[in-house]
Amino acid sequence: MNDPTENGPDLRTTIGGLVLKNPVLTASGTFGYGREFMDLIDLDRLGGIILKGVSLSPTRGNPPPRVVETASGMLNAIGLENVGFDALVREKLPLLETLGTPVFINLYGTTVEEYAVLAAASDRVDRIDAVEVNISCPNVKAGGAAFGVDPASAAAVTAAVRSRTTKPVMVKLSPNVADVAAIARSVEDAGADAVSLINTITGMAVDLKTRRPKLANVTGGLSGPAIKPVALRMVWQAAGAVSIPVVGIGGIMTAEDALEFITVGASAVQVGTANLVDPSASVRIVEDISAFLSENGIARVTDMVGALTV
Amino acid sequence: MIQTETVIRANDPVGGGCRRMMLDAPPEYGNARPGQFVTLRFPDGSGPLLRRPFSIHGVVKAADGTVGVELLYKVVGGFTQRLSAMRPGGAVDLLGPLGNDFGVDASARRVWMVAGGIGAAPLAFLARRLAEMGVDMASCALFMGGRSADDLISTERFADLGMAVHATTEDGGAGEAGLVTAPLAREAAISPPDVICACGPMPMLRAVAGIAEARGIPSRVSIETVMACGLGACLGCAVETAGDEKGYRHVCRDGPVFDGGWLKR
Ligand SMILES: Cc1cc2nc3c(=O)[nH]c(=O)nc-3n(C[C@H](O)[C@H](O)[C@H](O)COP(=O)(O)OP(=O)(O)OC[C@H]3O[C@@H](n4cnc5c(N)ncnc54)[C@H](O)[C@@H]3O)c2cc1C
Ligand SMILES: Cc1cc2nc3c(=O)[nH]c(=O)nc-3n(C[C@H](O)[C@H](O)[C@H](O)COP(=O)(O)O)c2cc1C
Ligand code: FES
Repeated sequence: MNDPTENGPDLRTTIGGLVLKNPVLTASGTFGYGREFMDLIDLDRLGGIILKGVSLSPTRGNPPPRVVETASGMLNAIGLENVGFDALVREKLPLLETLGTPVFINLYGTTVEEYAVLAAASDRVDRIDAVEVNISCPNVKAGGAAFGVDPASAAAVTAAVRSRTTKPVMVKLSPNVADVAAIARSVEDAGADAVSLINTITGMAVDLKTRRPKLANVTGGLSGPAIKPVALRMVWQAAGAVSIPVVGIGGIMTAEDALEFITVGASAVQVGTANLVDPSASVRIVEDISAFLSENGIARVTDMVGALTV
Repeated sequence: MIQTETVIRANDPVGGGCRRMMLDAPPEYGNARPGQFVTLRFPDGSGPLLRRPFSIHGVVKAADGTVGVELLYKVVGGFTQRLSAMRPGGAVDLLGPLGNDFGVDASARRVWMVAGGIGAAPLAFLARRLAEMGVDMASCALFMGGRSADDLISTERFADLGMAVHATTEDGGAGEAGLVTAPLAREAAISPPDVICACGPMPMLRAVAGIAEARGIPSRVSIETVMACGLGACLGCAVETAGDEKGYRHVCRDGPVFDGGWLKR
């Protein structure tokens, strides 16, 4: 596909045995079910697409307002609104049938058993090439703290998913933790093929005129350029702690941003908020990564993974 | 739906802190429908992070086949301030046309429009399109409300088509003193129209929908929410609508125009 001598640099990267044609994925929740962007960009140019997070049953989501812009970023409290697993498979995946790029499903549950059921169901669907597990969700049986804030419950979810699917399993880590390296190690030990990070950082915005929170949910998840330095630090820490591939996420707007994540140890990246702001961002980032590598005489993008000198 | 970097042709003040902007647009905009909107951003990524939504105020097709899209906007914050400083020749990133439309076709005979201030933006496009379709505009009317005379923008576009214009201001500075719903309710009691189309603040839309419902008149209201994508991807633009116990509707995808009866009162 990518003969470096003829077609420019080799952008291929591998996650859990799945070869991506380039290291740019679209982050869950910022790319809908893919079809929302089909009129605007060629999805086949992407390394892969990650669908909006899905639960076993349809989820209504939070009351509005759900979104507010903040300095260099945005807070969202969508509340994981989604059509539910069965409707996703029945109504959304057929639109992606002819796509030549991998499709990742993004799963979330409120109990370990729900994750396991979703993983088993995903395993039976051909169009799902890989599974991303969102563990930033409240564990209803353990007082509502997110699975992802505790190494033991993060590992329990990972092991449950791992045992029900042969597809690559990527576990998406929460940044709202004291020691992300410990969580990364525990999910690696539990059988994850890769970790992706970061999910949004919990934040808040206040309307001084009304003295009310700007989001109906009071708190929300911060994303966009504002979180990039935090994300880079956490990806660097996680990459130092595990030997499975790490996928970097957080405030990536340009190829330079993406390459910074790769430099601190990411094998691939996800572009999130940038898709909302500029639907052509992900494709442009692919092109610009290629141009950067050519200009700098670098044959393979994997040559830059972890190239950081401290 | 198409994303393009395009050029500003005009950006002129029209009073009331509002401006009318003309942008070069791809030929696809020739098929844009009244009620649809676009989102804008500065191509260099400067300014606020999120794209900003604006209703299509008009579409101009020149003899040589080029298309222009008109916007009417009020300066309220960071993005619109920067936009107001842009000169002809400047560039913006234009994405659209997005969303649904008022759903009024040539079979409509008596169409009433209700605008709250800047809400005139999409209605002027609707009026122009109805006139092009051969609707007798003398039997249509505009009800336009504002806080003061300054807010009564773009009324000439409706009057020039032959529509009756009922203006109201809260301070009594122009037209009838009070809220726009007063003349609307009064006139609807005398001789109800076939349909009412409205755009403006939510309390006004609720009141208009209530008046329409009481008289059995269909109403179509255009609503605004914060939007992050405008594409149906982020689900940030949810609104709660009556009779929708199971889920929310999304303004950018299911709207921005809704049946008045769907508004939660
Ligand atoms: C479908 C749709 C169509 C629209 N059409 C038009 C139009 O034709 N002309 C026009 O002038 N505006 C229109 N708007 C509103 C416009 O998008 C906002 O005024 C704009 O985003 C403000 O950006 P800003 O950065 O200048 O202000 P910000 O700094 O974002 O906001 C400044 C102030 O304005 C308020 N505000 C922001 N957005 C809205 C909104 N959507 N509704 C009510 N108050 C708001 C904020 O609460 C804040 O107090 C439309 C909105 C939608 C959703
Ligand atoms: C509107 C919105 C919805 C999101 N929904 C999900 C989701 O369903 N599942 C998930 O794992 N992450 C979700 N995320 C988090 C993103 O995938 C990503 O981790 C985060 O936004 C940071 O990346 P960014 O700064 O590039 O946006 C969402 C983010 C946004 C902005
Ligand atoms: S604004 Fe993103 S779904 Fe409507």
